[in-house]
Amino acid sequence: MNRVLPLFRRSIADGWRGLAGWTAGILVALFLYLPLYPSFGGNGQMQEMIDSLPPELVRTLSYDQIGSGPGYAQATFFGLIGFVLLTIAAVGWGTGAIANDEENGQLELTLAHGVTRGQLFSERTAAVLAKLAWLCLVSFAVVVLLNEPAELDIEVANLVATTTAFFGLVALSAIAAIAVGGITGRRTWALGAGAGIAVYAYAMHALGNQGDDLVWLQDFSPYSWAYAEEPLVNGWVGPIWLLFVVSAALLLVGWLVFRRRDVAV
Amino acid sequence: MTSSNAAVTTRGLTKRYGSTTALHGIDLDIPRGSVFGMIGPNGAGKTTTMRLLLDIIRPTGGDIRVLGEQPRAGGASLRRRVGYLPGELHLQARVRGRELLAHYAEISGAVRPGAVDTLAERLGVDLSRPVRSLSKGNKQKIGLIQAFMHEPELLVLDEPTSGLDPLVQQEFHAMLHEAKANGQTVFLSSHVLSEVQQTAHEIAILKAGRIVERSTVAALRENAVRHVKLVVSEADAASARATLDAVPGVTGVTAVPNGPGTVALAATLDAHVDAFVKAVARLDVVDFTMEEPDLEEMVLAYYGADVSAAVDADDADGADRKGAER
Repeated sequence: MNRVLPLFRRSIADGWRGLAGWTAGILVALFLYLPLYPSFGGNGQMQEMIDSLPPELVRTLSYDQIGSGPGYAQATFFGLIGFVLLTIAAVGWGTGAIANDEENGQLELTLAHGVTRGQLFSERTAAVLAKLAWLCLVSFAVVVLLNEPAELDIEVANLVATTTAFFGLVALSAIAAIAVGGITGRRTWALGAGAGIAVYAYAMHALGNQGDDLVWLQDFSPYSWAYAEEPLVNGWVGPIWLLFVVSAALLLVGWLVFRRRDVAV
Repeated sequence: MTSSNAAVTTRGLTKRYGSTTALHGIDLDIPRGSVFGMIGPNGAGKTTTMRLLLDIIRPTGGDIRVLGEQPRAGGASLRRRVGYLPGELHLQARVRGRELLAHYAEISGAVRPGAVDTLAERLGVDLSRPVRSLSKGNKQKIGLIQAFMHEPELLVLDEPTSGLDPLVQQEFHAMLHEAKANGQTVFLSSHVLSEVQQTAHEIAILKAGRIVERSTVAALRENAVRHVKLVVSEADAASARATLDAVPGVTGVTAVPNGPGTVALAATLDAHVDAFVKAVARLDVVDFTMEEPDLEEMVLAYYGADVSAAVDADDADGADRKGAER
């Protein structure tokens, strides 16, 4: 009997319907937004409209770069709709990995079998990350596909950097939910941690955009770590690595507490 | 008893959740190949004890050995040798029974081919249906199958018969007998004695985190209160009453008229059946009834407040042990 990564395979098998749904959602978002660029953003019409908006709003939404192909893809998809969609998926999956399973009583029986706490923690984390990686890969592939028809002018190397940052950013929310679930076993805490870190990151970034005296806030925003240096234009710049360092630290703490504490109490 | 031939041994097992103490120093010895029943009211600590054995929760104090190993140190390989049925069974709802059991088979000890189907057939559950469409009793059967399918050395079953109809309960009891014959050890819990008395040899009665009685079903039966009724002729009533009063363990003798010319003497008898029968044999008995002892009644007495003596004794015992350990 195949005993390799049983919990990982179980998680993927249980979640494939959801994953298919999220994949469809990402495809719809990309195919709706990106092909609009030539008729909308590329001819300056968009820039005119942006210029008529309150500058604070434009900066909050990071729409100031929307007149260029990379700026448009960043502002519409990677920075906004894609970020929101994948964050929702990440928080849901992250909460489901441990906290939800524990609160609905299923974790007890799984842990009563021949698996270790560390194995469960790592295999379920890997399953969540694999699903997020898949969605990021789909995003990457669609942007490459639409790059020429939609006249986006994005360099593939820069797209690799941006997709990595995108993955790191949404994975951070998932891992916050997993880790807090591992520490507390409470669904609301896990959900709050995952969603909270995304909202916090976005808010700090948006506030930091409002003026030079607030830009220091972005030093503390994972959203800014990912996107402030405009990787879709500039490639591998900015502290994208910091996303992965913080995620690793959260995983470590979550695992250390999860292997020690009482489950299902 | 040494730990090598005990399936489960605990010494001074204590579990505290914050300021509440769920277990006050439990000592258990469950020999290999036996069926051991733990009974107690809700909240007595049965589930806590079982979760400690499976390393789902960790003890605050005391020592646990499961199949000779500490649950924490034994880890996954120890748990492969144990089958566990949780008291509150929650199964994944969207998968089919067969798929779910295949998953549990991957993370438990080796399952013989066909074992799952044999068990499903015996218990009468359709594994091709999604778990969510199954009744509570049928979900419980899935829970039993995952506990039994890898023929574990130790079965830890928390209220295993809940939700099962009487016919399936009989089948379950047969499975327990076979497990015992097979050399497997069974540790099961219930809040009523009747569920364990048919199968368990030894029992422990748990109340508020303490073992208030350790016994065998046979010993319980021997010591149980029996209601007796003796019918004698009116002429013999006085001497019969005197005889009964003289028998040790007979209390509450009351005489009631019982039709023309006879008197019925009702009494309760705790233990000493032999002495009673021999004493009564000397009388001219018109009719005699002795009710089957109600063990449940006896257990309920332990649940009540009138066991403070036993609790105190156990507590003092526990305190001594804790003192000795430190």
